[in-house]
Amino acid sequence: MKNDSSVVAFLVLGLLVVGVVIGIPLVHAIQLSLYQAESFVAQPQWVGLANYARVLGDDRFWSALGNGTLIAVSAIVLQVVLGVAIALVLNQAFPGQRLVQGIMILPYLLPTVVACLTFEWLLDGSYGYVRAVLASLGIPMFDWSASRGPATATIVLVSVWIWTPFVVTCVLAGLQSIPKALYEAARVDGAGGWHRFWHVTVPGLKPVLTVVVLLRGIWMFNKFDVVWLLTKGGPVNSTETLPVLAYHQAFQAFDVGGGAAVATISFLLLAVIILIYLRLFPLDEK
Amino acid sequence: MTTDRAVTSEGRLKAGLRRLVLGFSVLLIVVYSAFPIYWMAISSTRPAVDLFSRATLNPFPLDWEAYSSLLQFTDYGRQFANSMVVALATVAVTMVCSILIAYALTRLRFRGKSAIVAAMLFGYMFPPLMLAIPMFSLFNSVGLTDSLFALVGAHLAIALPLGVWLLWGFFKTMPLELEEAAMVDGCTRLQAFFRIILPLSMPGLITVAIFSFLLSWGDYVFGLVLIMSDQNKTLPVGLASMLGSNDLRWGEIMAGATLIVLPLFVLFTFLYRYFVAGLSAGALKA
Repeated sequence: MKNDSSVVAFLVLGLLVVGVVIGIPLVHAIQLSLYQAESFVAQPQWVGLANYARVLGDDRFWSALGNGTLIAVSAIVLQVVLGVAIALVLNQAFPGQRLVQGIMILPYLLPTVVACLTFEWLLDGSYGYVRAVLASLGIPMFDWSASRGPATATIVLVSVWIWTPFVVTCVLAGLQSIPKALYEAARVDGAGGWHRFWHVTVPGLKPVLTVVVLLRGIWMFNKFDVVWLLTKGGPVNSTETLPVLAYHQAFQAFDVGGGAAVATISFLLLAVIILIYLRLFPLDEK
Repeated sequence: MTTDRAVTSEGRLKAGLRRLVLGFSVLLIVVYSAFPIYWMAISSTRPAVDLFSRATLNPFPLDWEAYSSLLQFTDYGRQFANSMVVALATVAVTMVCSILIAYALTRLRFRGKSAIVAAMLFGYMFPPLMLAIPMFSLFNSVGLTDSLFALVGAHLAIALPLGVWLLWGFFKTMPLELEEAAMVDGCTRLQAFFRIILPLSMPGLITVAIFSFLLSWGDYVFGLVLIMSDQNKTLPVGLASMLGSNDLRWGEIMAGATLIVLPLFVLFTFLYRYFVAGLSAGALKA
């Protein structure tokens, strides 16, 4: 069928909206990054690539990049391990299976703010439930936000709690797609449970897991809300990630250009990752 | 005879043990997923005196004081309405635009088509905060910051690529013969689209509606950056700002959190299968 003019009009109309809400801001971010301005109302001054040089020369940028990588990698590893384990359990037949699968998804539905506030309340130093449980065991409450280790761990664990259901759902769908005959064949060959898991289940889940790891990894790396709500990047910037740094520069440190430069660098990093991703997993075009 | 019996009783023991382990794992999954949500809900109905003195799992006696003070003395009602207006507008525009783009992308033949699809994937992984910086600057220059209009525009930037991506996958599976047959019967292209394709796309459209609603309703990042006044805040931002100066408002905060989650859980109960379909199709919230 030849290209129909009404369908062409569909595309033009739709892409126009996308251009306005995404294209223009993207170009404007690059534009902002080439100027120096103390605020969004100040008269901007052309500085070329000076903002980039300054941002890349700052240790704070590199430590934010490191923190983001650390948080993303630990969160994704935990999510995949926990997600596969939960999916294997929920894939068994038992009464109430659907109900339990539904309950398992609930954390994913919570807006990030709700999840973060609930965990802050659970971990509250004076009145939290965790404090009460620890006290009954004779253990004093620790201040999770006071040093880097526990603060990072809290960010990771809250993220894992919220987003593991996504991994479970994808893995459950992946498990359904593994032919039963493969398990039968393995059983006939005398393969034990562990053997079957390693040689049938794991290879069968590989396509699902590669996509999940990439997507969730990128999102974790770019996370702003969980970090900001739980620690604001503290204590002393030790949990600061690139988005938190960009926010700080643009809205708190009177450095709009610097914030925009961090944003633009993030877009570039993202583009590189996606190009590699598309090279590995080409979009199937019919 | 005796060996036979030994084998069966050993087999029965093994099966029993298996069931026990499965039951215990399921219980663990339920507690892990639901406990923080349960704690949030019972904290919202606990009398203020008990909230800070007794950490018990028993929800009784119920006390609605936190809810009435939340609705009376804060902007919560107003913010609930703001969130609803923004989310519904986002859903409507996202549905219309993403169906136009996705349909055209699967039906037209032209060079650079896969570049558009790849750009959607790119947009779909954007770090929201990085987009919020140029958006703030743009809206600021036209005097639209601190408006719900700006917020809808921002939410479209994250919801549209998701919608296009989802529906693109959906339309790809719909054969072109559907329209061809209708057009042989005397329909125009547009009629074929409205009478044949649109009704068949309902499941895909519902999924897009659900996930764009989730994105908009739960958004914290754009609300934080683009909205300044209390009366224009959306629920997540309003709720997060209740924490801060006065830490003893946990009852009200948990009541507010419960009310944010309630509409989502109701939707989830009725539209469970669309949630799951969308999740495993890669419909994800950032």
